[in-house]
Amino acid sequence: MSTHVDTFSYDDAIVRKFLWATFIWGLVGMLVGLWIALELANPAFNLGLEWLSFGRLRPLHTNAVIFAFAGNAIFTGIYYSSQRLLKTRMFSDGLSSFHFWGWQAIIVAAAITLPLGFTQAKEYAELEWPIDIAIAVVWVAFAINFFATLAKRRERHIYVAIWFYIASIVTVAVLHIFNNLSVPAGPLKSYSIYAGVQDAFMQWWYGHNAVAFFLTTPFLGLMYYFMPKAADRPVFSYKLSILHFWTIVFLYIWAGPHHLHYTALPDWASTLGMLFSVMLWMPSWGGMINGLLTLRGAWNKVAEEPVLKFFVVAITAYGMSTFEGPMLSIKSVNSLAHYTDWIIAHVHTGALGWNGLLTFGMIYWLAPRLFQAPLYSKKLAEYHFWISTFGILLYVAAIYSAGITQGLMWRAFDETGRLAYPDFVETVMKLMPMYWVRVAGGTMYIIGMLMFGYNIFKTWAARPATYDVPVISAPPLTKAYVDPHPVPAGTGVWARFTGVHWHRNWERMPLIFTVMVVLAVVVASLAEIIPTFLIKSNVPTIASVKPYTPLELAGRDLYIKEGCFNCHSQMVRPLRHETERWGEYSKPGEFVYDHPFLWGSRRIGPDLARVGGKYPDLWHVRHFQEPKAVVQNSIMPTYAHLQKRALDFDGIQKRIDAMVMLGVPYGDAVNRAPAMAREQATAIAAGIEASGGPAGLGDREVVALIAYLQRLGKDIKSAPVAAAGGTP
Amino acid sequence: MKLVDVMSASGLSMYAIVALLLFVIAFLAIVLRTFAPGSTARYDADARIPFSDDESGPAARARE
Repeated sequence: MSTHVDTFSYDDAIVRKFLWATFIWGLVGMLVGLWIALELANPAFNLGLEWLSFGRLRPLHTNAVIFAFAGNAIFTGIYYSSQRLLKTRMFSDGLSSFHFWGWQAIIVAAAITLPLGFTQAKEYAELEWPIDIAIAVVWVAFAINFFATLAKRRERHIYVAIWFYIASIVTVAVLHIFNNLSVPAGPLKSYSIYAGVQDAFMQWWYGHNAVAFFLTTPFLGLMYYFMPKAADRPVFSYKLSILHFWTIVFLYIWAGPHHLHYTALPDWASTLGMLFSVMLWMPSWGGMINGLLTLRGAWNKVAEEPVLKFFVVAITAYGMSTFEGPMLSIKSVNSLAHYTDWIIAHVHTGALGWNGLLTFGMIYWLAPRLFQAPLYSKKLAEYHFWISTFGILLYVAAIYSAGITQGLMWRAFDETGRLAYPDFVETVMKLMPMYWVRVAGGTMYIIGMLMFGYNIFKTWAARPATYDVPVISAPPLTKAYVDPHPVPAGTGVWARFTGVHWHRNWERMPLIFTVMVVLAVVVASLAEIIPTFLIKSNVPTIASVKPYTPLELAGRDLYIKEGCFNCHSQMVRPLRHETERWGEYSKPGEFVYDHPFLWGSRRIGPDLARVGGKYPDLWHVRHFQEPKAVVQNSIMPTYAHLQKRALDFDGIQKRIDAMVMLGVPYGDAVNRAPAMAREQATAIAAGIEASGGPAGLGDREVVALIAYLQRLGKDIKSAPVAAAGGTP
Repeated sequence: MKLVDVMSASGLSMYAIVALLLFVIAFLAIVLRTFAPGSTARYDADARIPFSDDESGPAARARE
């Protein structure tokens, strides 16, 4: 065995940077969340400003809390723990720095572009193509730095936390790249290469696994490092943690289709998603038990240590939300919960409880070590814990009630067999008290966040003039492995299989491990993706469904820009109360030209799948001008700016060209899209004027949006469904 | 002939079952190996890695 010992130091400066970014962006993301909660409780908070409307700000909130708050928290923990678990400094300080500044630049780009309406309309993947490319570049730099650090490690065994980091890094890369494939139609405009059912499938393959591999696996890695450190005892069962890891990797990737139950997704995919989601109960609860039982014999410490309090409630929230997730994936439960606030409550149990509290606990543990000064106030951290916990309870109790109320009201029939609440806005008004309670709960959580920031700032303020940089000593890995815990040699296949040598050899090559993880993820993905994309019977075409006209396409782009899909679904499920309320249920073939799909995931406002022809054009004009003027009690913000702003007719050609590249069969529009759009706009504007509406709308954006809305759901009424045919 | 026609006609449903079986076998192998007798000491040592840089932690106590 080599007697040579290396000396080195850890790069904690990068950890401190990510720590501050976590706090700053967390506060921003949560304040935006509070603001949009106020907008739902009282639409006056939209302030009549288009860039402050719910539709524009909601993606900013979700992106900020997921990628900016949770993202920076993950990097804080990964950079701190990986160096120590692998006994080496990060491979390149330059790459670490590029990762940090690149990630913050991406967040700033998101904070500017989303309120301005530049969006791909895919949940948690809203950012437009140049920013997507930047994300890929920064992520690859992070991956290179991480894997090169693994390669030069001085600890032979790769601790289980690192396994979770590896799975997160490679899977997020795969998900991000394949969900964001699109054809640009301008500097900040693109169309997904997938359409309708296939786009929905890809989006929720990505969306669900963004939750899995961005908000779950990296945080589990953090749990497996920071919980034992804070409790000062090893994880309860290392064997269970191995099982936890592989079960998550094998199962999670299949679960995405449960977001699309009863939609136009093929039933087999939906059922498969449900089954794998239910199976996820096992690893999730195994992991929760493993985390909590790490405190065996040390529960008395929880009373004294705020860090452990945060960890215990965080891990409990993980258990609760991962119990609820599989439950929500069961079709009958999902039929009640889908499109309602129940999902929002579920998400916030996970985000505020699991991700938020685990982050706070981790940073309270890290701050004295990183700033080399005692935590400013343990008492303040205790107050933070209690106010956050009560804030979460208030938030989720109110929103669970709101979600179940919504679901039950939508499906209620009276004794005559008619819908008990046919007026959708009636079901919205019922939620208002609960929306105000949510505002109170969210405010409490943000007050806790401010206490946290103050506590960390004061700890930082007490730092030494120069940070001490400890010099670490560790021997490099030797080529030959000597087992410190030798097991008596056996013979036969079983002995070789359970023996340690081949495993230790594999461990010297983390690339093999990474390849196995990628294989598990990719094979599982392909088993669902290939049939959805390449077997005709999964998406039967409908002969009467035609591409949108140039004006309708421009209107659709405005619908995307304003974020209408954040409140309105376009998907009638084959459930009696849905067909009674909205009309004929949606068919897969209706969406073959929808790049991207706009089914939505929530109904703050009514479904729009069959809104075409339901109201006259003038009704829409007045509705956009002042929603309350036509729907008393509406909480929709005003879209008066659509009547003021001129439509960019000339820009439509570029968009049609991009659609043609995607295979959408446009005839004349290939050569004269702007002229065709002007003709249709002039006719609609004339009709509006003739029916007593304002004159001169022929070149305004509002006409395009009306053209799009009036088209929705109409094609299917034109002709009977054709036999199964090819996808376009 | 388009790719979609080829894929539709090739009866791929069998391969989904094959993939599933391979997954189950791989997973069972991991379970068997993890819980095989005689591995406890090794896993206990692995579980102490987070404390190997901490002289006051369980790793130090375990060495005493």
